[in-house]
Amino acid sequence: MPNTDALALVDKYYSNYGSRARELKAAGNKILGYLSALGPVEIMTAAGSVPLRLKGNVSEPITKADAHMETIACPFIRNVFDSALKGRYDYLDGMVMPHQCDSTDKTSNVWSHNLGLPYWHFLNVPHLADDPSVGFFTSVLGVFKKSLEKFMGREITDKDLARAVEAYNENRRAMRELYSLRRFVPPLISGVEMTKVLVAAMSLPVDESTSLIKGVIREVQERAAHSGATSSPRVMIIGDQIDNTAIAEIIEGAGAELVMDHLSLGSKIYWPDVDVTADPLAGIAERYLRKVKLPTTFVAGGDTYEENLEARFGHIRDFITEFKVNAAIIFVYKYCDPYGFEVPALKDFIESTGVRVLYLEDEYSTSTLGRVKTRIEAFLEMIE
Amino acid sequence: MADEKKPRALATTAAAKIPKMTRANLAATVRAREEGKKVAYAFIVCAIDEIMRAMDIVPAWGESFSGICAAKRDAEKYLQRAEAENFSRSLCTYATCNLGFDMWREELKGEMPPDVPWGGIGRPDMVLGSGQQLCDPRYKWPQATQHYLRDVPVFVGGMYYPPWDPALDYREQEAFYVKYNTEELHACVRFCEKVTGKKMDWDRLAEIVDLTDRTINLFIETYELRKTMPCPMDTGDAMNTMVPISFMLGTQECYDFYRDLRDELKEKIAQKQGVVEDEKYRLLWGAGLPSWFALADFQYFNSKGAVFPVETTYRCTEALDRLDLPETNDPLEHIAWRWVRYWTHWYDKARRRPGSMPEVERLIEYIEDYKCDGVVFHSAFSCRSWHAGIMLQAEVLRQVCQDIPVLIMEGDIVDISSYNEADTRNRIDAFIEVLETRKNRA
Ligand code: SF4
Ligand code: SF4
Repeated sequence: MPNTDALALVDKYYSNYGSRARELKAAGNKILGYLSALGPVEIMTAAGSVPLRLKGNVSEPITKADAHMETIACPFIRNVFDSALKGRYDYLDGMVMPHQCDSTDKTSNVWSHNLGLPYWHFLNVPHLADDPSVGFFTSVLGVFKKSLEKFMGREITDKDLARAVEAYNENRRAMRELYSLRRFVPPLISGVEMTKVLVAAMSLPVDESTSLIKGVIREVQERAAHSGATSSPRVMIIGDQIDNTAIAEIIEGAGAELVMDHLSLGSKIYWPDVDVTADPLAGIAERYLRKVKLPTTFVAGGDTYEENLEARFGHIRDFITEFKVNAAIIFVYKYCDPYGFEVPALKDFIESTGVRVLYLEDEYSTSTLGRVKTRIEAFLEMIE
Repeated sequence: MADEKKPRALATTAAAKIPKMTRANLAATVRAREEGKKVAYAFIVCAIDEIMRAMDIVPAWGESFSGICAAKRDAEKYLQRAEAENFSRSLCTYATCNLGFDMWREELKGEMPPDVPWGGIGRPDMVLGSGQQLCDPRYKWPQATQHYLRDVPVFVGGMYYPPWDPALDYREQEAFYVKYNTEELHACVRFCEKVTGKKMDWDRLAEIVDLTDRTINLFIETYELRKTMPCPMDTGDAMNTMVPISFMLGTQECYDFYRDLRDELKEKIAQKQGVVEDEKYRLLWGAGLPSWFALADFQYFNSKGAVFPVETTYRCTEALDRLDLPETNDPLEHIAWRWVRYWTHWYDKARRRPGSMPEVERLIEYIEDYKCDGVVFHSAFSCRSWHAGIMLQAEVLRQVCQDIPVLIMEGDIVDISSYNEADTRNRIDAFIEVLETRKNRA
């Protein structure tokens, strides 16, 4: 890929989400949609399908979903479902719904019933990470693998899995390298650009994603020579799937820099790799349960509460140090119990590192952006 | 209207005993320390009742306490405290009500907050949560509690069942689910042994499991007496009589309660005593926890000649001979099988009816067995666990069961701000009209 094209391509994939999957479908590939950081992309790729992480459209009001799904499901889920009902993903051959939370679990049948896709699989991810849970989840992945083999009409060999595992590990290494360029003062890539990269990356087959990220790295590295130090607040954002640039634009429009995230489409999935294990599914199970840090996985570690907090959030403090963060925004979607119940603990933990925290609960929609903007701007004014 | 609010003459005497039992359950949690017993915050439908009972751990049920606060319309002060700590109003209000109460008690250095409903709930020595397909608060609520009660250890165990998928054979998965659940129950025992400093008495556990099995069978036998016309007890009462099966499983008192209730219902049936004098419509309470502050709505239905002989809520169990449980010497494995099969035993029926699903098969079974004319669901906004997916159940039910009238009411379990009595009653009136028209047509 020539040096200058990567960010333009990112823009294209970001603005026309899923366009590459549509092309690949036209070329005869099978496209499998999935939701959340728990989508077992290694297995989908090993099976020869193209995994596509689904997103909604924050600028579009929900018009079809409410006739079929309760409005007490989280607004993200409702919006993506609405998009799917409106035919945005009409090229999907199937979907994998990991059990991330009640909003996925309790609506899985609603999706499968209304979308009527040829393939549907609810992946029963447990909420725990002890030894029996990893063993159990390995078996759950085995059931998924078998059902996918049947649908794809081919065996998924250990070799296929090993290849896919390596491809994703390489993809994550590349993304971490790109993140490292955000450590610069000022960061070499803006929060808005980074959001677009993260979104584009989750819409591509793994190898294409990796080469796109590498292209962005080359392009962005060239900026190092021209950048001069700034003293803008350096912000980290924490939440689930924030897959549009609106919030990054508000933060950066207010003169701050969005330098790090702990989002389910960002650092949460790019830091943990899959270890190579005798049974490849065991390594995959281990990654999703023990390494991907989601509030939906109960972490039991530590003899004291403080030690437990360290096990749950210690990595966030490391990010704060590494990326020189001095302000954090926790952004939680309404009706999200897993994130919502840990806000006080998480907020206290981050504040104990000396970083100020703004907690926002809101919709997956630009219609409420006005109030979000006012709160973020007022918050950033307080940061030196 | 004044007339309609009179207590029901035909409410069972068994149901009338419930407030006293609930008070006693709460008082036991407050007294436990003096008696040298350990208290566990626990959550219903987690399959650890027998473990707690066998180890003399006093369960302190968060849902029960919050439900009482709601029924007494006294939850707001706790909800506000939780909200001030950044727990959103959109989260499960059972949990936030309890958390608000916990915060307040900690501020008072362990003293009971003033004017606490029914003497409050005891401070726990441990929290026993659960990771399962049922509900996120069952593992997040314990974590959040620990933020305020930092010295209290938390255990969360996994309890899963093969998810419904018409393309897969759940039987091929049952064994590894049971193995996992059994391992997790053993881990729960080890945790309880550590906190209590006592070893599990496995013989006692086996006896309690046996008592529980017998109680479950008796409970179903008792509830099935409600098939009779006129119906001797309806869901309004069942929202009370659920207390022993939900909060006292594994105790002799629980068994005795259903024995007395069964005898009472048999008596009523012999005397042809129904909940309402002129029973016109029989309804299924299809899903949903009730609005605890508005239980009088059941009376309102009754005043229109409508009665609920059956509900799915708080009936999270099934007669054991319908579950075909494999033999095992490990009582915990028996619990695990009982758990898994309770969820999967409607799968075969659902497979046989294309387009159906297990929840809907259950509804159809109840509609047929209890001769129901309509279905009422309640959708509580702060609980996704029982309430997301209700619209689909209603839609599929209509598709496979043709035009059975369905009413979906909206509200909450605890948060009264979501409730409007006049609106609710207008909707009930409209629904009754639909039932009437249908009846006349027939
Ligand atoms: S935002 Fe929360 S409720 Fe929504 S899908 Fe993510 S974890 Fe589930
Ligand atoms: S979310 Fe629902 S099932 Fe879970 S604790 Fe709250 S009320 Fe109960």
